Amino acid sequence: MEGLLRLRLALVFSVVAHLSLLVRSSSLSSPELQIVNAERRIDLTSHIVRVYLTLKVENAGTSPASEILLAFPPTQVDRIALVKATATVGKKKKKSYLPLDVNPTDLPDAPNGTKYFSIAFSNPLGMGESVTLEVFYTLTHSQEPFPVEISQSESQLVYYRDSAVILSPYHIKQQITFIKTPSTKVESFTRVEPTDRAGIELKYGPYDDHPPYSFSPIIVHFENNNPFAVVEELVREVEISHWGSLQITEHYKLVNAGARHKGIFSRVEYQSRQSLSGVSSFKHLLARLPPRVHSAYYRDDIGNISSSHLRTDSRKSEMEIEPRYPLFGGWKATFVIGYGLPLQDFLFESPDGRRYLNFSFGCPLAETVVDKLTIKVVLPEGSQNPSAVVPFPVKEHLETSYSYLDVVGRTVVVLEKNNVVPEHNSPFQVYYNFNPIFMLAEPMMLASAFFLFFMACVAYLHVDLSIRK
Amino acid sequence: AFLVPAGIIACFLPLSDASSFVVLYIVTSVYFSGVMVRLMLVLAPAACIMSGIALSEAFDVFTRSIKFQLPGVSGNSQNDAGDASSGSVVTQKTDKNEDSVKERPSKKNKKKEKENVEKASIKSQIEKRLLVLPLEASVIAILLLVLLGAFYVVHCVWAAAEAYSAPSIVLTSYSHDGLHVFDDFREAYAWLRHNTEVDDKVASWWDYGYQTTAMANRTVIVDNNTWNNTHIATVGTAMSSPEKAAWEIFNSLDVKYVLVVFGGLVGYSSDDINKFLWMVRIGGGVFPHIKEPDYLRDGQYRIDSQATPTMLNCLMYKLSYYRFVETDGKGFDRVRQTEIGKKYFKLTHFEEVFTTHHWMVRIYKLKPPKNRIRGKAKKSKSKASSTTTSRRSGTRKKNPWH
Repeated sequence: MEGLLRLRLALVFSVVAHLSLLVRSSSLSSPELQIVNAERRIDLTSHIVRVYLTLKVENAGTSPASEILLAFPPTQVDRIALVKATATVGKKKKKSYLPLDVNPTDLPDAPNGTKYFSIAFSNPLGMGESVTLEVFYTLTHSQEPFPVEISQSESQLVYYRDSAVILSPYHIKQQITFIKTPSTKVESFTRVEPTDRAGIELKYGPYDDHPPYSFSPIIVHFENNNPFAVVEELVREVEISHWGSLQITEHYKLVNAGARHKGIFSRVEYQSRQSLSGVSSFKHLLARLPPRVHSAYYRDDIGNISSSHLRTDSRKSEMEIEPRYPLFGGWKATFVIGYGLPLQDFLFESPDGRRYLNFSFGCPLAETVVDKLTIKVVLPEGSQNPSAVVPFPVKEHLETSYSYLDVVGRTVVVLEKNNVVPEHNSPFQVYYNFNPIFMLAEPMMLASAFFLFFMACVAYLHVDLSIRK
Repeated sequence: AFLVPAGIIACFLPLSDASSFVVLYIVTSVYFSGVMVRLMLVLAPAACIMSGIALSEAFDVFTRSIKFQLPGVSGNSQNDAGDASSGSVVTQKTDKNEDSVKERPSKKNKKKEKENVEKASIKSQIEKRLLVLPLEASVIAILLLVLLGAFYVVHCVWAAAEAYSAPSIVLTSYSHDGLHVFDDFREAYAWLRHNTEVDDKVASWWDYGYQTTAMANRTVIVDNNTWNNTHIATVGTAMSSPEKAAWEIFNSLDVKYVLVVFGGLVGYSSDDINKFLWMVRIGGGVFPHIKEPDYLRDGQYRIDSQATPTMLNCLMYKLSYYRFVETDGKGFDRVRQTEIGKKYFKLTHFEEVFTTHHWMVRIYKLKPPKNRIRGKAKKSKSKASSTTTSRRSGTRKKNPWH
């Protein structure tokens, strides 16, 4: 009798537990998907943090899933510059990658203000099916220098904050994180067992069976002497002239965003002991330009800066620029780079009769972050219906600018974007309509002006205005 | 330019009022240019006039020879001679001077007074006969003169490009591997412009005042508009005083950065050490405690081991040569061509914030005043001083010699 009562109680209890489990699981945001295996590689070798995430996702639910969510803590999401995702298709030798759409989303009941990016599957993931996704995202300004101020002979140490466990709205069965530092000098790192360190790689994991939204913060304090070149503001002006050339002018405000330089700057130490002194400063910057560049100049407010080299070959041009002084932490420099390019490499005609400019977005300087990028495409006079097609979200508006021999003004398409990294250097297009008759506008204007002037002279000389004969 | 003596001689041959004026002009301008080289500007028009006269006389002789000997022209030699002579006078007037003439054609070319022409032509014809040269020789001579003129133009353009077009802010030198550019001034001004606060004041000698204001966009203490002699003397005194006194002066002027130009590493001779004698003289003119003999050894300003102690302790010496010995181990100053006197020293009131690539401009910052002012007893340890500070601050004024 008693045993039967206990058995019935246990049965009721388990039923209630299962029911509650069911209820709880159904109230979560996306209950069906489960991450079987997650591997994350964080690359800290440059001042731009690059994270490669490999997720093996399984649909353990009852209905096909069309998207998967990536979660980020609110402090990190402001600094994300780029998120890309591809799906791996095929087995070992015949792997191919399909790019997938990634969009930021928001869920109303997100715990602690988590922000999400949703990746849409190319075909919905059926029940019991699994797929492997490769996600890549970059973070800027995520390595904060500590100590905040260093002297000339010290090297730069930075903090990187993240979580040992991948933040995700799904249950992760198995996960492991690798962190790669630029050198073997790591001051300290938070241990979340099992943690291991070998040379330049830190391993966190493998961790098993972590519930959704688990987060364990870690801090890695390491040395990073790579140049922290940040362009605070970049204005790129691309002027299209149908007479055969494209003229580009770029205005830079460059700063060294590493640990601020305090105290003296001794030139003798900088010049004599280069490996020990000013290790976190940089002197050279490399700008990668398209081939066949001509009339390149490099100047600032004061005048021409003579320390630059331009090397061209048939596939690319490289301009190595040296600001007037080496940039230590917190030091700024502003300059203007300009160059011309042949128009036939960049201006094309689309099948529907509109012309379009195919040019690369982003900053030509290598390994630099741009806080605020503005690209202005100045279309020739008489262009109509301008529109821009850019592979990532930008703010767009139109302006008018007046240049030589302009009557109505030229339309300018202005594109603005914050937080630009070198991975953004992909081509974008600006479409516009242009009636070829308008090419004659300028020469006709000049010719008619001179013609009228000469006619007036001739008339004046031959007109007889005398009153008396 | 090398035809000037020939021109002087040409002026004497018919010595008229105009030609004697030109001769006097050139003699006085040569004298004054010899005294002060900048007055060569005055010599230039005189030299041009003289050379012009010489060239025109030469052309005159040759063209007349040709014209005289050309067949068909000698028939109308009477008229043509007159026309030719007047024509040649008109065409060869290269400068604003009246040509001294051998013939006497009138300047009024349009009036055809036959008698004058007749008389002049006969006289000139007789004179000209004596001066005629063979045709080929005069043709070659004219060609050579034209070629000379052309080469002279090329030479002048080259000389202007090389010698007279040096912007004193960018220096260039030709070394075995090409052109070497010294852009140190702009480097320093760009650094000041971007890496200092907007309100910071920069003290330097007055030569760099306008450049600092324009390029570095910072307030200066004295600039090229040298209207306030006492103010310049203040800066000069500060540069000539020892570190502490200089710091006091600059602090009272609210200066944050001090800029000195130093050419010892690369051999740039217009640097502040060479201008130092003016700092001492101008400072001494207003502040009597700066005495020029204190800085002189045998009547000369020296910075080597024979320099006076006042010189080796003054701010200009210290700021120019701070850690200079570490560049080559000996501290050899290329401008003064000697090793410096005091090689190893530390700065107590200033700190170096920037030196340009070739050490031509050095910028120092004033150190903020110490929080705690110690007494004159330098041997006290810090622990002892911290316990006795309160007592000493009360008794500081009584007896500085503990």
